[in-house]
Amino acid sequence: IMSGSKPDILWSPHHPDHYVICDSELGLYRIGPVGSSETKAGTLPLSEETAATLLAINSDTPYMKCVAWYPKHEPECLLAVGQANGRVVLTSLGQSHNSTCKELVGKEFVPKHARQCNTLAWNPVDSNLLAAGLDKHRADFSVLIWDISSKFSSEASVASEKIRLSSVDLDSSSVVTKPLYELGQNDACLSLCWLLRDPKLLLAGMHRNLAIFDLRNTSQKTFVNTKAIQGVTVDPHFPDRVASFFEGQVAIWDLRKFEKPVLTLTEQPKPLTKVAWCPTRNGLLATLTRDSNIIRLYDMQHTPTPIGDETEPTIIERSVQPCESQIGSFAWHPSSQNRMVVVSAANRVMTDFTVFERISLAWSSTTSLMWACGRHLYDCVEDGAEGVESVIEKDIATKMRQRAQSRYGHDTVQVWRNHLLAGGNDPQLKSLWYDLFYILLSHMKQCAEDMELKLQGNKQSVVYSGIKNIVKTSSGTKESRRCWNGSDRQTDLPRYDSEERCLALRLCGWMSRGPDIGVEVFLRSLEQDREWERAAAVALFNLDIRRAIQILNKGATAEKGDLNLNVVAMALSGYTDEKSSLWREMCSSLRLQLKNPYLCVMFAFLTSEPGAYDGVLYESSVAVRDRVAFACMFLSDAQLPRYMDKLTNEMKEAGNLEGILLTGLSKDGVDLMESHVDRTGDVQTASFCMLKGSPGEVLKDPRVQCWIENYRNLLDAWRFWHKRAEFDIYRGKLDPSSKPLAQVFVSCNFCGKSISYSCSAMPHQGRGFSQYGVSGSPTKSKVTSCPGCRKPLPRCALCLMNMGTPVSNCPGTGKSDEKVDLTRENKLAQFNNWFTWCHNCRHGGHAGHMLSWFRDHTECPVSACTCKCMQLDTTGNLVPSDSS
Amino acid sequence: MCRTDRVPTAGILWLALVVIMFVARSIAADHKDLIHDVSYDFHGRRMATCSSDQSVKVWDRSENGEWHCTASWKTHSGSVWRVTWAHPEFGQVLASCSFDRTAAVWEEIVGESNDKQRGLSHWIKRTTLVDSRTSVTDVKFAPKHMGLMLTTCSADGVVRIYEAPDVMNLSQWSLQHEISCKLSCSCISWNPSSSRAHPPMFAVGSDDSNVTYGGKVQIYEYNENTRKYAKAETLMTVTDAVHDIAFAPNLGRSFHVLAIATKDVRIFKLVPMRSDRKESTSTGPTKLEVQIVAQFDNHNSQVWRVSWNITSTLLASSGDDGCVRLWKANYMDNWKCTGILKGDGSPLTSSSGQPTAMSTIVGSSVQTSQNALNGMSAGRYFFPPLDPPRAGTRYGHLLPPSSLIEHCDAEPIQPQQALPYRLSSRALLPLPEAEGQ
Repeated sequence: IMSGSKPDILWSPHHPDHYVICDSELGLYRIGPVGSSETKAGTLPLSEETAATLLAINSDTPYMKCVAWYPKHEPECLLAVGQANGRVVLTSLGQSHNSTCKELVGKEFVPKHARQCNTLAWNPVDSNLLAAGLDKHRADFSVLIWDISSKFSSEASVASEKIRLSSVDLDSSSVVTKPLYELGQNDACLSLCWLLRDPKLLLAGMHRNLAIFDLRNTSQKTFVNTKAIQGVTVDPHFPDRVASFFEGQVAIWDLRKFEKPVLTLTEQPKPLTKVAWCPTRNGLLATLTRDSNIIRLYDMQHTPTPIGDETEPTIIERSVQPCESQIGSFAWHPSSQNRMVVVSAANRVMTDFTVFERISLAWSSTTSLMWACGRHLYDCVEDGAEGVESVIEKDIATKMRQRAQSRYGHDTVQVWRNHLLAGGNDPQLKSLWYDLFYILLSHMKQCAEDMELKLQGNKQSVVYSGIKNIVKTSSGTKESRRCWNGSDRQTDLPRYDSEERCLALRLCGWMSRGPDIGVEVFLRSLEQDREWERAAAVALFNLDIRRAIQILNKGATAEKGDLNLNVVAMALSGYTDEKSSLWREMCSSLRLQLKNPYLCVMFAFLTSEPGAYDGVLYESSVAVRDRVAFACMFLSDAQLPRYMDKLTNEMKEAGNLEGILLTGLSKDGVDLMESHVDRTGDVQTASFCMLKGSPGEVLKDPRVQCWIENYRNLLDAWRFWHKRAEFDIYRGKLDPSSKPLAQVFVSCNFCGKSISYSCSAMPHQGRGFSQYGVSGSPTKSKVTSCPGCRKPLPRCALCLMNMGTPVSNCPGTGKSDEKVDLTRENKLAQFNNWFTWCHNCRHGGHAGHMLSWFRDHTECPVSACTCKCMQLDTTGNLVPSDSS
Repeated sequence: MCRTDRVPTAGILWLALVVIMFVARSIAADHKDLIHDVSYDFHGRRMATCSSDQSVKVWDRSENGEWHCTASWKTHSGSVWRVTWAHPEFGQVLASCSFDRTAAVWEEIVGESNDKQRGLSHWIKRTTLVDSRTSVTDVKFAPKHMGLMLTTCSADGVVRIYEAPDVMNLSQWSLQHEISCKLSCSCISWNPSSSRAHPPMFAVGSDDSNVTYGGKVQIYEYNENTRKYAKAETLMTVTDAVHDIAFAPNLGRSFHVLAIATKDVRIFKLVPMRSDRKESTSTGPTKLEVQIVAQFDNHNSQVWRVSWNITSTLLASSGDDGCVRLWKANYMDNWKCTGILKGDGSPLTSSSGQPTAMSTIVGSSVQTSQNALNGMSAGRYFFPPLDPPRAGTRYGHLLPPSSLIEHCDAEPIQPQQALPYRLSSRALLPLPEAEGQ
């Protein structure tokens, strides 16, 4: 229905790429891919992929009120236009030399009394029949069904028309005034549609009712009183379902129970202008209201039931926004799935748009995303392509998987190396694993000392409690004023020393153990890692300006070195402790412009008043360990604990793993780790880190147990079963309480005792079923009967030997066509002797024999047993994804 | 049968996230009507789909990554809304729910040997749960540590919790709890946390669109003493229809995260108040501090689904804009859009009126893809990284400079972010639970 110059769209019934826009004129467009329609002038982009070409314009028919496209293939572009005066004109777009077309084009169908033609509908079967709905004119008929093939017109009536509409030049030969049927007397008709279930039935939206006219008996009609009489339209997928509307409300009707609407949709604040069923999809109704840029969709999920069932159909209300501007009209594409063309209310801007179905989606445990859209599935898999990895940071799930595969956390000797196993690019992890390394190192050293001194004590746990606690107990701190190294100039700087502070420096990695006490080892390692600025700062904090300058020079001259370091060295060499010197003044102001935090803190240190080192201590870009070490040297017993507390809280708050240095593996450390897990989800690091805390207290923390369980669960979900088993073994070493009990034992059929029970109960006998067990005992005793009652063990279903007899040879294994690694085969040879059975039928035998049997069979080898032993367990058929 | 002509059947499109590269690939699903749900098993090697064609299909992934449909059968006499897997320790078990007012439990059994050879599996119905008088809108198994329990919710506003007391006999399920939520329920999600500190908890969402009915997300918690579920919280700010809800995998975190699909994507953090942890078992439900951490209207329309990855560091959502969007939080808990794909797997283009953050890079890595089917051209689409690259920064770089945080096109709306709101004490009172008669 068109009102005024508001545009409407019609798709061609036969050309899937043709459509007509009608506003004040008719425009025929062809839609095609953007590239292919050779860049003609006048090609309009409809979407990223499609564009429209204007093929023809027809402005022969003024006062257009409604348009309907002739449904037959021939003639192709025949349109019926309903006009404001009630006339229906047949017109065409483009050149058609077809004779029937020539005959029809220009034909007019004129009602007795002039009034607006509201709607037109071609009969889908008998395409000669064209129904027109008109406004009311006294007692006249409002539904006229014209036969376009009729040739005769009453001269008399034409004459009368001619007088009334003198402006229109009429060719009397092409004017039809006698309709085939006249219906709806004394009424108005606002909308029409032919019913698909019976082409003799016409549904009409009349003034105050919906009426069904039967052409076989025009004197009768079925009707129902309602206001919803506009835009009647039949659901192409359910011929008994009809939609109509009134103002903002849509009513859905079931023609089989026509008394009342089966449902009414939520009322819209603005009046509706178009309602259309999607032709390519069940139960999808699109609606448009005035002055709106959205199309509202109603997804009716269910076939209406024929009997009056009380089931409420589930309706999902959706809205789509095809374009930014206000929508004038839209039309579903007749065959392309969920596709429509939308035309704007002004300026005839067109958009090609496809309504997506509601997408449901799911992540798999291995971070691939599957989604379903309509009837299609899309698998979105994480790409393992190399090359981009360095640029793009991965998700923690991916990181943990990769780290599990590189045995992250498992290096128990060079503990610091674990950060390399984690990829070596995470500064927090680097800091963490160095912390743990130094802690364990100090712990071992302390243990060794304690052994020497024959001390049993709680002292061992002190290294685990973190620097914060270590320095808290500091006693006997000595304050000293040292000289600048290499000069005898006394400094103002008080430096503090105690046993605990010394331990703290070791834990920070600044001081090495052994005879080579001092910072030189550390400096050299920093130089090796080309951390020039950091090394220089550490040297300076150890009051060795010369060394610092030397390092900076080295850094400047090194390959790809920064020449600016020489300038810094120069600035450094001018150091003076003169309070009011120009040097000081300039350094204080210019140091903030230095980009490198270590260079920055060097000058901060040199220009600070003794004891007021905030410029160093709170420079957050400087590693925590360096700031802590600095604090341990230069803060007094009063200042130090305060700074430690503050820094610790900051680290805990942020979940920064560098803070483990301060907290150690204490409850504080668990708190910090909790904060880290909360932020990152990295339960892998949390589990491995806390397992290092040998005091055992942290392991008892339910949070730690929870992380461990979650990490194991992740490994299981990824089918990293070997990695999980290795983790469990590792965990069992560090946390004996986690060792699981034996899972299964085999009991003797006769005495009911476990056949391995006797072995474990009498370990001194050294006999038993070690060949069934996990470890291969060197004494290969042959036991074929129950150690308890001496009755024989069951026989292998294949070789019929009593179990316990070693497998002599195994058919099927070591076939020449199977390329098997010999050493691997030997490793597995013992497994052939294992006793195995089906849990369902309880038949079994030597594992090797059973395995080779099931290579070729699915059923149990025991006669008359039809058990499909090998197919019982789906999980059993899954292979671990981490086996090499 | 309608055929879509716009879906690339074997097209490959690349999507780069800040963190992840993805390749989207279409699979011929062969459902005769719309697919409503897709669900992975615990290991991600099997998948189930359900559809308006009243069937469920089971898919198995081969070692080379291809999906093969190994079972397809009619499950209900109406649209099947959802399908879900039990933990594999209970066997190969599926549950489905439907418009036909029932939920059903299915178990894979050992089929004929030739079935197995043809790559088919056989599923039989173990039980039909017929307690609902309206459409059953969602079905979920409870977390494994609770045993084999199944939860349904239905359009009549009732959540039902069933238990299989004998995991060897899946034909017997007893209705343990019947909880009336007063509003038509559309979705349910269990809190997956297995921590003892967290009592069993689930959230239920309502698709009732009447905003005057108040909060559309309710959270229930099990009370050890009364042995009943009681309402712990109602998210009063979520007043529009809720279409999907998902608790994030907890992974040992001290709080719970809940994603909600309503007229926008919302992410809530539920922090159990520590001080009540001990007494909570006796006095009532755990007090939860509710914080909204993100709210995104980028879909610019209704949001239909939300799904978390296994570490709850990535959230995927789908909406009426026909797009799948991926969200990720940075270290500071700032959530950002990190990727957009259209529903047909193609990259989003600017014509849809959406901001686009993609630029094509002709990468040499394109040909490394094994999956270049049909020789269709593949392009990589990159999104600008959100976080500054770590390289070059030294230790202790905790906060990325603020200028670097805020340059994604997808700006979050984060109302009340700093102000976790507390609900009135009235809302905290447990709702009397209607136990099964």
